[in-house]
Amino acid sequence: MAVPAILNTIEQTGLSKWIRYSPSVFGFYFILLCHTIGLSLLVGANAVVDLRILGVAPGLPLKPMKQLFRFMWVGLAINITTGLLLLTGYPTKALTDLDFYVKISFIVLAVLTMRRIYLRVFSDPALSEGDMIGQGKTLAKFSLVFWIAAVWAGRMLSETYTYITYGHRYAR
Amino acid sequence: MYLNFAHLHLLLNHFPIIGTIVGLGLFLVSFVGNNKDLRRASLIIFAGIALLTIPTFLSGFGAQLGIQGKPNVSDALIKRHEGSAMLSLWFMFATGGFSFVALWQSHHRKRAADWTITAVLLFSLVTVGLMARTGNTGGDIRHPEASGFTNGKVVEGPIGSILSALEPTPDKFSQLMLVNEWWWGFMMALHFLGLALIIGTVGILDLRIMGFLKQFPVAPLHRFIPFAMAGLAINIVTGMLAFIGQPENYIYSGAFWLKMTALMLLGANAVVFYMAGTFEHLENLGPGEDAPAFAKLVAASSLFLCFTLIVLGRYIQPLGDTIRNASN
Repeated sequence: MAVPAILNTIEQTGLSKWIRYSPSVFGFYFILLCHTIGLSLLVGANAVVDLRILGVAPGLPLKPMKQLFRFMWVGLAINITTGLLLLTGYPTKALTDLDFYVKISFIVLAVLTMRRIYLRVFSDPALSEGDMIGQGKTLAKFSLVFWIAAVWAGRMLSETYTYITYGHRYAR
Repeated sequence: MYLNFAHLHLLLNHFPIIGTIVGLGLFLVSFVGNNKDLRRASLIIFAGIALLTIPTFLSGFGAQLGIQGKPNVSDALIKRHEGSAMLSLWFMFATGGFSFVALWQSHHRKRAADWTITAVLLFSLVTVGLMARTGNTGGDIRHPEASGFTNGKVVEGPIGSILSALEPTPDKFSQLMLVNEWWWGFMMALHFLGLALIIGTVGILDLRIMGFLKQFPVAPLHRFIPFAMAGLAINIVTGMLAFIGQPENYIYSGAFWLKMTALMLLGANAVVFYMAGTFEHLENLGPGEDAPAFAKLVAASSLFLCFTLIVLGRYIQPLGDTIRNASN
């Protein structure tokens, strides 16, 4: 299957070139840095909520942990923004890499699980802490698995790509 | 006067060699009369020395770059020392790791578990021995009057023969890290998971102490710290393996050395937090209660340093060439 020419079109735009080649301190590595910080907020906060639901730190009241979702949404917003910028810089590299689709799939699953935990565990103020935990135990386990898979797949992108840019195949 | 890798290595090597002896001495004396304070001090020393062993090891590679190929410098002696260092490094980490666990246990239960103290004792004894060997083999590189070796020809004594059989071959160890891309990606993926775990668990405790998320009582938040320690352990191990695999990628990067400095400062921060008795007063803080100003400062610097590690880590590669001429 040939690589779609639209990817080349994107790569020839000013924005795409700037992301790839700019020596500015706000260039590629800064975008990548923000992506890392975003994931540390998103996955870090999520992991803490999941761990609490699964029984770590039982002395900690579960209800106030609802506030941690704010960090998760901020992290997700940062990562969608930086992710789109990275994709604009290297569309061929990402979209011809199966691992990229694996990563996005796990992120979608993890975010849906995060939303379900928010709705099932934290939305009803009348629920007791015991009931809250009961609602969320299985979801919390899946959440951890999905995030571990998403981060792993994301980091493997450097090792799995075939094209660096349109027309430039990487010899593996 | 300027500092080069040789200077740095010769300065830092005192910590794992002498520091472990001091730590072990205090540790053994603590068993006389079951002295809790001495025990705690020795465990903190082991943990701190383990952390300092990291830049000691790293600077060794820089020192090597400075002298290899020069007259009267034996590559065989350098490799011998490097292999010894690689072995003692892991035992040092084990000693430090178990010391952290023992400190944790003694804080949350009445005392550290017997198995943990036994592990610290056994690993520290072996570490002191291996570090002595490492120091010895290091001295041999530049001191033929001490080694008795001529023309860099190595003759091992009885203990040396046993140890040299156990010590890794540096080039082979490096090759092992690069054996395939999937292994490298796996190590780096673990590194990222470790950092996410650290930010989440340390973040929530630090933010609470700083005065945010006031609905949480402080004591239970501390239960997440073992996960932070696990994250840190994963990152130290994967980080060291990455360095061993491709030292040239890191040794010349200013960002990498700043990151190591930040890591040492994070260790010092933790010692201040626990040793200054700051945490003891915080344990009983309930929801809505404010922590003292000093505690807030320590918590803020901890969180700041964690993010600094991430920022500097990200910039290792683009600033990969900022230190040239490793030694002169």
